Amino acid sequence: MNLTDVPLMSLLRTRMSWLNSRQTLLSQNVANADTPGYAARDLKPVDFETELACAGPKGFSGMAVTDARHIALPVSGLQPDEQQTEVDTSPTGNSVSLEEEMMKVADTQAQYQTASNIYSKAIGMMRTAIGSV
Amino acid sequence: MDLSNSMAIVATGLRAQTARMRVISENIANANSTSPTSGGEPYRRKVPTMQSDFDRELGATTVKPGDPVPDMTDFRLQYDPGNPGADKAGYVKLPNVNPLIEVMDMREAQRSYEADLTVMEASKSMLARTVDLLRK
Repeated sequence: MNLTDVPLMSLLRTRMSWLNSRQTLLSQNVANADTPGYAARDLKPVDFETELACAGPKGFSGMAVTDARHIALPVSGLQPDEQQTEVDTSPTGNSVSLEEEMMKVADTQAQYQTASNIYSKAIGMMRTAIGSV
Repeated sequence: MDLSNSMAIVATGLRAQTARMRVISENIANANSTSPTSGGEPYRRKVPTMQSDFDRELGATTVKPGDPVPDMTDFRLQYDPGNPGADKAGYVKLPNVNPLIEVMDMREAQRSYEADLTVMEASKSMLARTVDLLRK
């Protein structure tokens, strides 16, 4: 058994990689805060329904399985999906709002901290289950 | 590594803001530079520019400083017959630098630089958190 087969672990892993991608996208926004014509982007918020379906025993598939020989592809809703944020644009055509980006960066950081704390707690619980090796 | 990419991207932002500050300081330093020859042109203000640039290696939109563009607005005229740059009528052309605009531009550059640094700090701490998972 792989550690990533544990549903909690795989959820945390996808969560952390989503936050990673978001941080990269936010840093692009901040770096281009003064570039004329640059449109701010963000990841689509995670849809709980999709994630629930994905974490369930059946597994969520992006493609329909109509034949027994078809292989269902597990598709997670945590896939980065870029969307343009709707904020007011400056006369230069730049739509980056530094305050909003800073807020998002702080939020991403806090959520990443939460995810990594839960991860280490889960590892600790598993270690307890194994016994002090 | 997404997080190191994130740091590399904001680093381009830091570099671009530094280049902008260099042009602004050039303008402020030359705010009173008149022509050494009679009737000649004084220092012409430069406008710092920036452009986004897709970095294939990082797979992200980074920013790079563009070439400074000369500001083509008119020079101010001042009556000063004793100045070596004065024309026959006694008027000397002063640079088209407005210190107030330069200071505001400088503040803006400073603000963006601080934002870049904040993102870098955040990415750094997230990276440190990930490495910390190894210790437990």
